[in-house]
Amino acid sequence: MKELKIQRILFYGLLLLMTIIYMGPFLFSLSISFNAEQDVFSWPIKLIPEKWTLANYQRVWQDLPFGQWLFNSVAITLIQTLTNVFFASLAGFAFARLEFPGKNIIFSVLLASLMIPGIILLVPKFIILNEFHMINTYAGLTLPGLVTVVNIFLMKQFFETIPKDLEEAALIDGCSYFRIFWQIFLPVSKPALAAVAIYTFQGSWNEFMWPVIVTTTREMFTLPVGMAFLKNEFSVQWPLLMAGTILISLPTLAIFLIFQKYFVQGVASAGLKE
Amino acid sequence: MANVKLKQLKKVYGKDVIAIKGADVSIKDKEFVVLVGPSGCGKSTLLRMIAGLEEISEGELFIDEEKVNDLSPKDRDIAMVFQNYALYPHMTVFDNMAFGLKLRKHKKEDIKRRVEEAAEILGLSEYLQRKPKEMSGGQRQRVAIGRALVRQPKVFLFDEPLSNLDAKLRVQMRIEIKRLHKQLEATMIYVTHDQIEAMTMGDKIVVLKDGYVQQVDSPMNLFNNPANKFVAGFIGSPAMNFLEGRIEKSNELEFVSGLVRFGIPEKLGLHEKLKPYIGKSLIFGFRPEYLYDKEKENSKELSVDMDIILDVTEPVGSESFNYFHFEGQEDKTFCFRSDSVYQYQGNEKIKVGLDINRLRFFDKKTEIRIA
Amino acid sequence: MKLSSKQKQQARTAYLFIAFPLVIFGVFTFFPILFAFFISFFDWNLLIHDKPFVGLANYFELFQDRVFLISIKNTIVYTIGVVPIQTLLALVLAFIMNQKLKGRAFFRLAFYLPAVTSSVVTSIIFVWIYSKPGLLNYLLSLIGIEGTDWLTNPGTALFAIMALNIWTTSGYFMISFLAGLQSIPQSLYEAAKIDGANAWQQFWKITVPMVRPVTYFVIVLGLIGCFQVFDQIYVMSAGGPVNSTTTMSYFTYNNSFKFFRLGYGAASAIILAFIIFGATWLQKKYLPSEAY
Repeated sequence: MKELKIQRILFYGLLLLMTIIYMGPFLFSLSISFNAEQDVFSWPIKLIPEKWTLANYQRVWQDLPFGQWLFNSVAITLIQTLTNVFFASLAGFAFARLEFPGKNIIFSVLLASLMIPGIILLVPKFIILNEFHMINTYAGLTLPGLVTVVNIFLMKQFFETIPKDLEEAALIDGCSYFRIFWQIFLPVSKPALAAVAIYTFQGSWNEFMWPVIVTTTREMFTLPVGMAFLKNEFSVQWPLLMAGTILISLPTLAIFLIFQKYFVQGVASAGLKE
Repeated sequence: MANVKLKQLKKVYGKDVIAIKGADVSIKDKEFVVLVGPSGCGKSTLLRMIAGLEEISEGELFIDEEKVNDLSPKDRDIAMVFQNYALYPHMTVFDNMAFGLKLRKHKKEDIKRRVEEAAEILGLSEYLQRKPKEMSGGQRQRVAIGRALVRQPKVFLFDEPLSNLDAKLRVQMRIEIKRLHKQLEATMIYVTHDQIEAMTMGDKIVVLKDGYVQQVDSPMNLFNNPANKFVAGFIGSPAMNFLEGRIEKSNELEFVSGLVRFGIPEKLGLHEKLKPYIGKSLIFGFRPEYLYDKEKENSKELSVDMDIILDVTEPVGSESFNYFHFEGQEDKTFCFRSDSVYQYQGNEKIKVGLDINRLRFFDKKTEIRIA
Repeated sequence: MKLSSKQKQQARTAYLFIAFPLVIFGVFTFFPILFAFFISFFDWNLLIHDKPFVGLANYFELFQDRVFLISIKNTIVYTIGVVPIQTLLALVLAFIMNQKLKGRAFFRLAFYLPAVTSSVVTSIIFVWIYSKPGLLNYLLSLIGIEGTDWLTNPGTALFAIMALNIWTTSGYFMISFLAGLQSIPQSLYEAAKIDGANAWQQFWKITVPMVRPVTYFVIVLGLIGCFQVFDQIYVMSAGGPVNSTTTMSYFTYNNSFKFFRLGYGAASAIILAFIIFGATWLQKKYLPSEAY
């Protein structure tokens, strides 16, 4: 049994090391964000600030267009989350529960489009939006992500698990298809809707490449673009930068903590698509 | 309330999968009709065509003389009780029952009154504010029935509503649905695979197999005068025994199968029908209920004796099912029923007789009953 | 096949339900795929009105462009370095999380945190960690090693970014593996134990083969992600120093949106897309997804 004990010690040692590696960087950036001294590069490094302050967080709001970027990020994220939940579930319902000519072909084409690397679409998307004069506008930032194939796929998969009886009972009760969708399927699909909402929120909030390309002036930046911009402009003011990074991480962290189980469910069901 | 007429209804899937091959059934007002058959026979499909959940490929369907082929389910004035209840999980019992009425824009007071009435009848009054998942299987089934009840439809449709319940509850609900039928005086169409359910509940039974309607008749007529070998074997438990043999003519007509041989008395009036089969194979059918131990029960009017070898006996309480074979035909097992006071041991030779009024014969090829 | 009026009505409803997504995908996915090829045959510059047709000239130029060739090399090194390690690490993490463990929710959060955090945020944090007077060098100094300035040293910059990538994505794929692990029947492990397999043998002989479908999925996603790595490069090194971290997608970005040579950029993106197709095809051929 001694061998077992050594195994356990090794196991927990490994676990501890992993935890430090994965959480450490966040803790250090948190520590820097509270550091009153602007020069954090004094050697040797101090892992914990000598003088604590909240001033960095205040300065993020006062000295930077943080509020504007926050507004942009929140607006885009909320719109894309809402439209994805609604349209992905509506289309998922059609693919899961309605019969119509071309259904299988259309769905296969949609699935196949998942294999298209996004990089190939950047230039043409940019030119199309430029033609519509949508570069550096909210429309340009938002439109391409209003609904995604992955979300439709997730909703379709979920709706297919709902017993057919339920839909038929509703038909006999006198529901139209939209009402079946709205009053029967949506209320019983909260876990799937939550997964779609959380993933979309996550994706929109963290999206970087598209906003970098489509925004050209500072007041249109989203938070990630703004932070990247700051990193280049203010790269000496680390406490300020770190305060900003902590702030933009908070919403996703909060959502993750609150909806942990949906996260895991979503990844699990996404993993089944192969 | 209403009558329902099915005229040559057909259901074809894709190009050549035919699920229903032309069904003619006429259902009278206030009748309780049971569709019964083994799984895959098309009984559920037929019910769903009446409900409007499946397209009718060919033929006509009338409810109260109105052709409803192209009406959607909600416009047919029917209500349906599903096998898995199909209760809306996010709604309370009250809302589940009220939903169909709300969609039909009934007045609030009217809805409330109807739901409460139905709940009263079904003993659900205390549960109206519960969600389905807080209720037992039997209670959920009552809610499902209640949902149909409040609509006061022309026709009630039941799709194997009791198959998810345990045996005891099933018997109880069976009686309750029958009682409801009397109380409401409604037309009801009921699908089941359980022939006992069919026999006990139906005023009229439609037996289906492989998409064909085999016979439409009253329960007792099905039992006594089955139209063919399938119906004969399907209705009744334990099932009818079948023995292949041929008709021979000596003084009178005789049935012969291996060492089994007995005469068919002239007075039964079967001779006319059996004559064409002289020298030919046919199938002889006899129910376990109509075999009697010669030594123990000799009061009955029986045909000539048969010697059987009893293999196993299964006492089930008041009666016993005894499995036997005929000498020289070890591979075929038959059954006869006896009072359980006669205690057989198995592995014994006994003499039995057959009630001569209960001889049934079927054509070997078409399986249609000859006599 | 002739449709009844009820079927027609159902079809109409269905088309209505999928109409909006189809329009969006049409405009922003399907049309752009074709359009990308079209653009790549032109000298399409955003600043110049005249867009002459040049045939395959963009492609020829790409293969003589030293930076492009370097970017291919960098991208391949990046992918080959990151995908196997992140996959294995994710599986190990999942294996750990699948053990009976106190505080499992906490550890899951710890490992998943980098994955849910914005790539810009993690990149900025790591710029600091990798800097000359940064955390990494501080830790190294504790064991007597003098580190370099990891991101401005052409020999280390790419590997530093690769390490960051492994750190962020392994936790994400851990969740995928965890779901796969939880679907392995416990009885298999019990049978193996009775047969005398130790923990290590159980991992290699039972866990690894049983999660093969998940592994396939994780590798496909990993490949597609790594081949298109952009955010980290943009924030941490902007392709430098001396192009040592210029990946193909960064090359595409630079040419398209810095130099406004959209035709040239589109051509490079198409080559990248074909490389990705090739890689996933190879994977499908040599590492099929079938479960047992």
